[in-house]
Amino acid sequence: MNWFTDTLGTSIGKKLMMALTGLAFCGFLATHLAGNLTLYVGSEAFLSYAEHLHSLGPLITLAEWSLLTLAIIHVATGLTLFYQNWRSRPVRYSVKKTAGGRTIGSRTMPYTGILLLLFIILHLLNFHFVDKTGTNIWNIVTDTFNSGGYIFIYIIAMIVAAVHVSHGLWSAFQTLGVDHPKYTPFIRGLSIVFSVIIGIGFGFIPIFISISV
Amino acid sequence: MQLDSKVPGGPIQDKWDKHRFDLKLVNPANKRKYKVIVVGTGLGGGAAAASLAELGYNVLNFCIQDSPRRAHSIAAQGGINAAKNYQNDGDSIWRLFYDTVKGGDFRARESNVYRLAQVSTEIIDQCVAQGVPFAREYGGLLDNRSFGGAQVSRTFYARGQTGQQLLLGAYASLSRQIAAGKVKMFSRREMLDVVTVDERARGIVVRNLVTGEIEKYAADAVVLATGGYGNVFFLSTNAMASNVTATYRAYKKGACFANPCFTQIHPTCIPVHGDYQSKLTLMSESLRNDGRVWVPREPGDKRPPNEIPESERDYYLERKYPSFGNLVPRDVASRNAKEQCDQGKGVGETGYAVYLDFADAIERDGKAVIEKKYGNLFQMYEKITAQNPYEVPMMIYPAVHYTMGGLWVDYNLMSTVPGMYVLGEANFSDHGANRLGASALMQGLADGYFVIPYTIGDFLATAGTNDVTADHPAFTESEDAVKAQATKLLSINGKRTVDDFHKELGHIMWEYCGMARNAEGLRKAQGLIQKLRAEFWENVLVPGEEKDLNQSLERAGRVADFLEFGELMVIDALHREESCGGHFREEYQTEENEAKRDDENFCYVAAWEYKGDDEAPVLNKEPLEFENVKLTQRSYK
Amino acid sequence: MTKTINLTLKVWRQKNAGDKGKFETCQARNISTDMSFLEMLDVVNEGLTVDGKEPIAFDHDCREGICGMCGTVVNGRAHGPEKGTTLCQLHMRHFDDGDTIAIEPWRARAFKVLKDLVVDRSALDGIIQAGGYISVNAGGAQDANNLPVPQDKADKAMDAAQCIGCGACVASCPNASAMLFAGAKISHLALLPQGRPEAAKRAWAMVKAMDALGFGNCTNERECEAECPKEISIVNIARMNREYYKAGFFSGEKN
Repeated sequence: MNWFTDTLGTSIGKKLMMALTGLAFCGFLATHLAGNLTLYVGSEAFLSYAEHLHSLGPLITLAEWSLLTLAIIHVATGLTLFYQNWRSRPVRYSVKKTAGGRTIGSRTMPYTGILLLLFIILHLLNFHFVDKTGTNIWNIVTDTFNSGGYIFIYIIAMIVAAVHVSHGLWSAFQTLGVDHPKYTPFIRGLSIVFSVIIGIGFGFIPIFISISV
Repeated sequence: MQLDSKVPGGPIQDKWDKHRFDLKLVNPANKRKYKVIVVGTGLGGGAAAASLAELGYNVLNFCIQDSPRRAHSIAAQGGINAAKNYQNDGDSIWRLFYDTVKGGDFRARESNVYRLAQVSTEIIDQCVAQGVPFAREYGGLLDNRSFGGAQVSRTFYARGQTGQQLLLGAYASLSRQIAAGKVKMFSRREMLDVVTVDERARGIVVRNLVTGEIEKYAADAVVLATGGYGNVFFLSTNAMASNVTATYRAYKKGACFANPCFTQIHPTCIPVHGDYQSKLTLMSESLRNDGRVWVPREPGDKRPPNEIPESERDYYLERKYPSFGNLVPRDVASRNAKEQCDQGKGVGETGYAVYLDFADAIERDGKAVIEKKYGNLFQMYEKITAQNPYEVPMMIYPAVHYTMGGLWVDYNLMSTVPGMYVLGEANFSDHGANRLGASALMQGLADGYFVIPYTIGDFLATAGTNDVTADHPAFTESEDAVKAQATKLLSINGKRTVDDFHKELGHIMWEYCGMARNAEGLRKAQGLIQKLRAEFWENVLVPGEEKDLNQSLERAGRVADFLEFGELMVIDALHREESCGGHFREEYQTEENEAKRDDENFCYVAAWEYKGDDEAPVLNKEPLEFENVKLTQRSYK
Repeated sequence: MTKTINLTLKVWRQKNAGDKGKFETCQARNISTDMSFLEMLDVVNEGLTVDGKEPIAFDHDCREGICGMCGTVVNGRAHGPEKGTTLCQLHMRHFDDGDTIAIEPWRARAFKVLKDLVVDRSALDGIIQAGGYISVNAGGAQDANNLPVPQDKADKAMDAAQCIGCGACVASCPNASAMLFAGAKISHLALLPQGRPEAAKRAWAMVKAMDALGFGNCTNERECEAECPKEISIVNIARMNREYYKAGFFSGEKN
């Protein structure tokens, strides 16, 4: 193995990969949300945003492939960690209580992660790998959120995403070694605020669409 | 037996230098041909194992705990002395030497103490280089504090965990040598015998505490660093596994046991509060720097401390010893606490406690300063007693803490068995009849880092490698004896548990051979111990199996030795018809109730020689000569 | 105030490393609330011995919270319910009359149960042996005051150096990871100027050893710092991570 894979292969190396890819996804979420906010304005704004996005051409392809790569790294590493951690305690405790360190986010990380993966597949099937001839993305969105089932799934998924991010964001900073008495409380606060914004910002879209359209 | 202390000639300040030159050296390439057994991984043993391995020797290191990092040196709180004079307050090697000899009530060997003071400065250098996080001043230089028995600030400390940090330093060096393959570490092993052939130590026999197997190891030299025997009192500040077995069995193999009656009772411990109690907890003596010791002026005053006005308190140490005040040596502080309680002025539920009050210090320096200095001690106190010492004065009482006595060693730290060295608390050498605070850590590390690496080479270069292997009949004989004892202990199947016997022995020792002793009590104690010992071998109940992890069996072996050793202590205390340091014979005291020495008749080391189970031990005397310090009546007024 | 309580103990009993082990129930009667948890076990063991049964094997030594030898999981918490406390310093006044207490050994792949509550923690020694030291031999040191250390750094190093190696961090970590243990040692030495020359090498070697010894991975659950009897902070894990990245990505040395 060369030094690069060797460094990334250890317990801390794997954490680093989770942190970096996770942070990239947080960036993606922020951008995605910023774009999606145009939905709240109306069809014209949203379609114009979509058009601008597609006019980026090869850049968008690059971004898609990058996201896919990051996703593969994040998921594969996450599953590896999940398996290894599960194996590291062959005999479980009969009584186990938290000492106050864990949060809902940290406790459910692998499970929320798997749910998000499933959701992302569904989401891509809904809006990406869909026949767009004779219609536009606004219509696809409004059609989808006509269904109560989809509204429910999307809202739940956004809650799950918020929970995942609430631990993931500060955890990424800790993993990167950014832990400082002056800034850590801010970062921890930011994680909560960010996850709430993500949850509400995305989560209200289906409700808004179903009401307003 | 003729005791030869091998103290080199010449002026005291040149002895060690000259001696190091005179010692034979082992060629670096030849060092790897020698194997050295080190028993114990505390400050003495850990430092010795690491240093010997650094020099190139092959070391076999044994410890009773699951990891070498847990030796009881770890519990030392207050600090370590060194004659650095960083505070510019008049300290020097000579002063540390003088303080130690005087503090030991003139029953230590001058040359050893001088060497200890000399190497003390190197210890601090070494520990800092290892990364021991000593307390620092704002400018980044090392901080010091003062300690009992001294009027200069020469104590280096790492919060209230100095022993821990020093031990982890030694453990780190040891770990480095384990990784390098120079030290082979055997943890969870209890040494049960030393094997000697042709008057030379050839190896040891140990019990593997996990499997119960008896294992034999041969080597070219054996180093014992197995700590003190304070647990003979059952209740002491020692760790539960601290015991006399290694040194006592070495004594039975020909090593003289010196001054066994010199035990130290530490003045600042948390008082006893119940029969179930398994150990006593020490609060660092450094607390006496800022805490003021007092009792109510009137006996039987049961008011809560905060309701007793200043005028009705007796700050008895400050009153009786104006110049040293609360910083008098440990033996003096302990005896005075006992005296106050015997007069009915003791406080707390049992009446066996005195107050240690921080109210003035908190008012003077602020709570933050006191918390920085003693935070963890206060926390520990509160955890145990559920009382907050920032608001209510602490209650303290003396407890057995350290044993100055130990196997007799010469200037090279070799016992009367050639090839067997003894380091740290296990030997008798440097503290006389009383040890000053913050000096145990100094001695352990001095012996391990800076004495044994030189002196052992001289022996090896002279005696050569050991041609006796662990298959030799002497090893088999020893193994059989050890096994037979275990089988016997398990087969008695009596009615009383091991702890039950141990507690009774502890009571006898504390009552008759504790803080104050007299001939009548000691004679009585001897009879009681003999009776108890006889009952032990008929009525002890040891459950479990031999070849298994069996903690009851481990304790039974240790208590069996304590039951014999306790008698040796009593014999020694009885024969020493004087008071000195921690040995206070009520018949021999000054008009002010201070210890009264008899330098004419007892200025010697009493080294007891084993002659057989049914024979009385033979007393050998090493006369103590004081050429550099004038023998005076200790006074801390 | 001192009072006595009666308790029911559910204790893990296991003959040896090969045995499967099971819980056994026994009674602890007339337990003074001033007792430590281990003294309570002493009393139970005396009773078992007299009744002709084998006493419960448990590790312990100094009984003043510094040697790190004791430790079991009590009602789901490493070293019991009190914060910043080792088992020997946990007093029975924190329990109520009639309580049932479950007592289990540390559980981790890296810690093998030897008997009852006694576990083999030599893997922690293994991590230290990989590099938890400064490579100086006895005798070669310069004067201690030649190397000033800022008080703040010395304090932080001391915070980390307080680790007693009990293994509670591993026992309480949902992933049985030893990151706090390793992080504390790496931090202690990395903060001091004496430790800098080997900082990168040390971090690298200790992390590698930790992985090889079978500990789990850190997922920043913070249970370790919440349970650590010396309250060592996960700031030390972050510092270890930085040291590790320096070693992996920026050190010129061949690892």
